[in-house]
Amino acid sequence: MLKRDQWLPLARKLDWDYSYVDVHDVFPDVVSGTPWLPHSDWKDWDEPYKTTYAEYVTNQHAKDASVEAVREAVGKIEDFQKLDPAWLNGLKLHAATLPLAEFAAVIGNLRAARFGRDSAWRTMATFGALDELRHTQIPLLLMHDLVRWDEQFDWTHKFYHTNNWVAIAGRHMIDELLLGSDPIEFAIATNFVFETGFTNLQFIGLASIAHSVGDKMFEKMVQSIQTDEARHAQIGLPVLRTLIKHDPERAQQLVDKWFWRTWLFFAVVTGFSMDYLTPLEHRKQSFKEFMEEWVLDQFSKTLAQFGLRKPWYWDQFLSALEIYHHMVYASAYTYRATVWFNMALPGPAERAWLKEKYPATWHLVDPVWERLTERWKESGPGVEWYSHGATPVTFCDLCQIVLCGGSPLHNTARTLEHGGRKYIFCSEPCAWIFLREPERYANHKGVVQRILAGEAPANLLELLRTYFGLTQDMWGKDIAGGAYPFMKESPALQET
Amino acid sequence: MLVPLYGFLEGDTIGLVVLIHDHETVGEAGKRLQQAASVRVAPTARAGVFHNGKRLDADWTIGRAGLTALERIDVVPEVD
Repeated sequence: MLKRDQWLPLARKLDWDYSYVDVHDVFPDVVSGTPWLPHSDWKDWDEPYKTTYAEYVTNQHAKDASVEAVREAVGKIEDFQKLDPAWLNGLKLHAATLPLAEFAAVIGNLRAARFGRDSAWRTMATFGALDELRHTQIPLLLMHDLVRWDEQFDWTHKFYHTNNWVAIAGRHMIDELLLGSDPIEFAIATNFVFETGFTNLQFIGLASIAHSVGDKMFEKMVQSIQTDEARHAQIGLPVLRTLIKHDPERAQQLVDKWFWRTWLFFAVVTGFSMDYLTPLEHRKQSFKEFMEEWVLDQFSKTLAQFGLRKPWYWDQFLSALEIYHHMVYASAYTYRATVWFNMALPGPAERAWLKEKYPATWHLVDPVWERLTERWKESGPGVEWYSHGATPVTFCDLCQIVLCGGSPLHNTARTLEHGGRKYIFCSEPCAWIFLREPERYANHKGVVQRILAGEAPANLLELLRTYFGLTQDMWGKDIAGGAYPFMKESPALQET
Repeated sequence: MLVPLYGFLEGDTIGLVVLIHDHETVGEAGKRLQQAASVRVAPTARAGVFHNGKRLDADWTIGRAGLTALERIDVVPEVD
């Protein structure tokens, strides 16, 4: 009987020359991706894990048992009820955006499991698909228990099925990233840029914060997911290596495109959580510091190692790192009823911390929080609408996220006409991505176009109820209803 | 005719849709944007309205100013 190390290379590298069918028909470029290369150019595809199916099943079973054990011990409603309300709402944000995106990644991986150009790649993608199925099921299972306590957790499953503006933005990226990409683009965009560049390390950072906050269940969940990510993210590097050898400009363009697209979404989800929804006493570093330490350093080194340039918009990205998620958070706070989680108003201590962490830009955003604090003081607790917008906001025609690029001094939104239609983009990179493949994006309608076309109501309350899928009980509110201790420190209020 | 514009107020964190008729004035568009953004930025008595970097006459109508649907205007508050 063959030993593992004798049969595994045979099983992993099970490719052959086709005798009664053309290889182009087995792997059509429209599905397998371009550049279309003969298998001889892919035959050295390799990754370091070299896992067997039996090992995969054994490892995953042990990991699932471990998650289940933690769930049994600290996954009950009363365990979550002990957590800080701000953290719980960050959890709702992550819980909604994660699981069904992972489910879309099952499909992306399965496409690679069939149409990837080397059998070792296809084997790894099969494991990747099984991983992502697990990453769908675990958060759905854990959060489902919480729905009977707090129905905002229902958005864990509901989110991607709604026409909520965040879901429209999420689907626009996820559909392209995970459902619409061929295996080559999927490997560069998902495995290399998003997983190797962002989420693999994000999960380590989030697990650390969760530990500090006392959320043992979330800590365990992201740790368990991260070990899978670390493995299947390895698909990206060998695909990138081959692509660079044969079409370096396409490799560079895919990296440039997907770093920007995934950065925007990442900044909203993780930036909100780290700088606003983690209790101040548990913050270990700012989102910017986290990005600099865990993402930029590593990602820059990897690009250099492969002979790739930093994306052409790198200076714009570094500027955005200073302020973009602050712009979106302040805006979203004043439209919090349009989302499914509650949001925190940063008080004097939080604002002092943010000023220290973002010395170059915080003074531009802080007046908005000063204004909002005054509005709450004028209205008193519980009057949500006095610090809430009512006018429709604007959205980028590429990323579908609100137009919050640049700074309060200069919003970087730019307009252009294409094919007889006017478009607006939050940033130069979003316009660049659109113009490279307008046929891919041109007919998508954002929220504003849907309102103008009569497909969605213009009245905000009607929009929330009939289009965004929210009810008054479920939509986002201020986390404390405006009743913050620091509000009472106002001399004006003390006099009254 | 109703003309939806993309409005950006200096000091604000987000762009807003300004719904205005073509017979209304540029100054009214500026005021409408300031009012819509007032939860974040306190309105001022006067403000300049800009399109493609050029200041528009506040008394001109939207039609005369040549503003059509889904164009960008920038509103810059003027402190007294």
